[in-house]
Amino acid sequence: MYLSAVSPVMNAVGDMTLSEKGISSAKVILTGFVVVFAVLVLLICIIKIYSAIVSRAQRSGVRVKKKKSPEKPLPAAAPAVAEEITPDGDPDHVPEEVVAVIAAAVAVMYGGREKVRIKSVKRSGAKRSAWANAGVLENTRPF
Amino acid sequence: MEIINGFLDAVKGIYESSGLVNLNWQNYAMIAISCVLLYLAIKKQYEPLLLLPIAFGMLLVNLYPDIMSPPNVELLTQQQADAAGFNTAGHAAQVINGVTYYENPTYGGLLYYLYQGVKLGIYPPLIFLGIGCMTDFGPLIANPKSLILGAAAQIGIFVTFTGAIFLGFAENEAGAIGIIGGADGPTAIYVTTKLAPHLLGSIAIAAYSYMALVPIIQPPIMKLLTTKKERSVVMEQLRPVSKLEKILFPIIVVIIIAIFLPDAAPLVGMLMLGNLFKESGVVDRIAKAAQNELMNIITIFLGVTVGATASGTNFLKLDTIKIIVLGLIAFCMGTAFGVLFGKIMYKLTGGKINPLIGSAGVSAVPMAARVSQKVGQQENPGNFLLMHAMGPNVAGVIGSAVAAGVLLNVVG
Repeated sequence: MYLSAVSPVMNAVGDMTLSEKGISSAKVILTGFVVVFAVLVLLICIIKIYSAIVSRAQRSGVRVKKKKSPEKPLPAAAPAVAEEITPDGDPDHVPEEVVAVIAAAVAVMYGGREKVRIKSVKRSGAKRSAWANAGVLENTRPF
Repeated sequence: MEIINGFLDAVKGIYESSGLVNLNWQNYAMIAISCVLLYLAIKKQYEPLLLLPIAFGMLLVNLYPDIMSPPNVELLTQQQADAAGFNTAGHAAQVINGVTYYENPTYGGLLYYLYQGVKLGIYPPLIFLGIGCMTDFGPLIANPKSLILGAAAQIGIFVTFTGAIFLGFAENEAGAIGIIGGADGPTAIYVTTKLAPHLLGSIAIAAYSYMALVPIIQPPIMKLLTTKKERSVVMEQLRPVSKLEKILFPIIVVIIIAIFLPDAAPLVGMLMLGNLFKESGVVDRIAKAAQNELMNIITIFLGVTVGATASGTNFLKLDTIKIIVLGLIAFCMGTAFGVLFGKIMYKLTGGKINPLIGSAGVSAVPMAARVSQKVGQQENPGNFLLMHAMGPNVAGVIGSAVAAGVLLNVVG
């Protein structure tokens, strides 16, 4: 039948002695390990080198452009928002408005059916700002 | 009377050619298995884009085995030709032992022709073309060290090769079984068609099943091998990668891999061509066609015909069970080695790398990266590992293609 079209069944079992099997596997493991790592390490080096070249080229390109057309200095950026100083001097203090907003969001998530009690609201130690988090979420949503 | 006899003969002919007479118990068992797979694809949505066509191909070939039959040439004597109503004029004749036989070519089954794309190694590289169009190598370029994790996850392939050899498989078969550990369907199919085509059905089904089961198989291994502290590492944000770097990447990678490992060139070449379509930004139409229409069409052909290699007599063997077990071992080992190398990198970088991204070194894009993200968030809900895990994940695609090249070279 069509099996013959797929391929003749090959010699599967018992042709090799135990030592031949050992040698064959050691050969494949060693070659595989060395070649895969060697090729990928080579790629790492090359990526690093060309990234460095590209970024240097682009940086110098930008510098040259700047020299050619000196722009007027931009008006000083708005002063960075100073860390909120709270009445009790506690940097972890969460303003009441924020607690109200969080409570509202929690209530919406629970569908307003269940009674929800919020025991504490703590400032998280997140390194990203809310905007950065929103950006990350936006980028990772397709996955 | 003649009419009734003709009618009875026709009914008899139909009955004799029907599955009721021609199918054996293995076919019925496979029909049942394919129905279970259809259920898993439709109801449980386990990789339905692949599992559904595979399961249906399996169903079709077991209902009507001739759908995979190759073209043939039947030899008929003049008498037989007359009896069959076959006009011998214009047909080639052979004389064997003084008897003239006329050649009557028969055509192959539908799936036999579609299967040629698998057999000749055409479909897997075309799928890679589409994958290339959809892949963003940015995270890998930003953090090239993740290539190490993509390489580490391939160790499972070679260790499983040993297991398969000692279980009595021939070298070429062991190579094809080991590649399941790469968790890359097209690569597994490509290597199997070159090394051990008779195992294609079981290997493809094992590979795709484990890829669908990534979210179930990987987390326990990841948790077992890492401490809570390691899992909660928050990684630094990746640097932005310029467009020029992204455009140069596919060109450089293909040059290096094709020079050093020509056997991997068809897979890596197509992957990088697709990626260049995407990153160059000048062939938008082609990029869209490659990742949508072309990829969808090839997926249909590949799925149905791979499923159709799983005929009852071919699939229901002890070897299939061995392959499925070895495949699982390969997969778990790949995950484990990825995580272990992640731990080494955690130590070497002074705790900057979360070892969980190591498990994404098995290809299975983007599922494995999603699993790293999920397990990381179980420890720290504010931790976003996804983009960091995409680095090893796409490195895994390159890594398994390189591993495939090694296997083809060493045991092919």
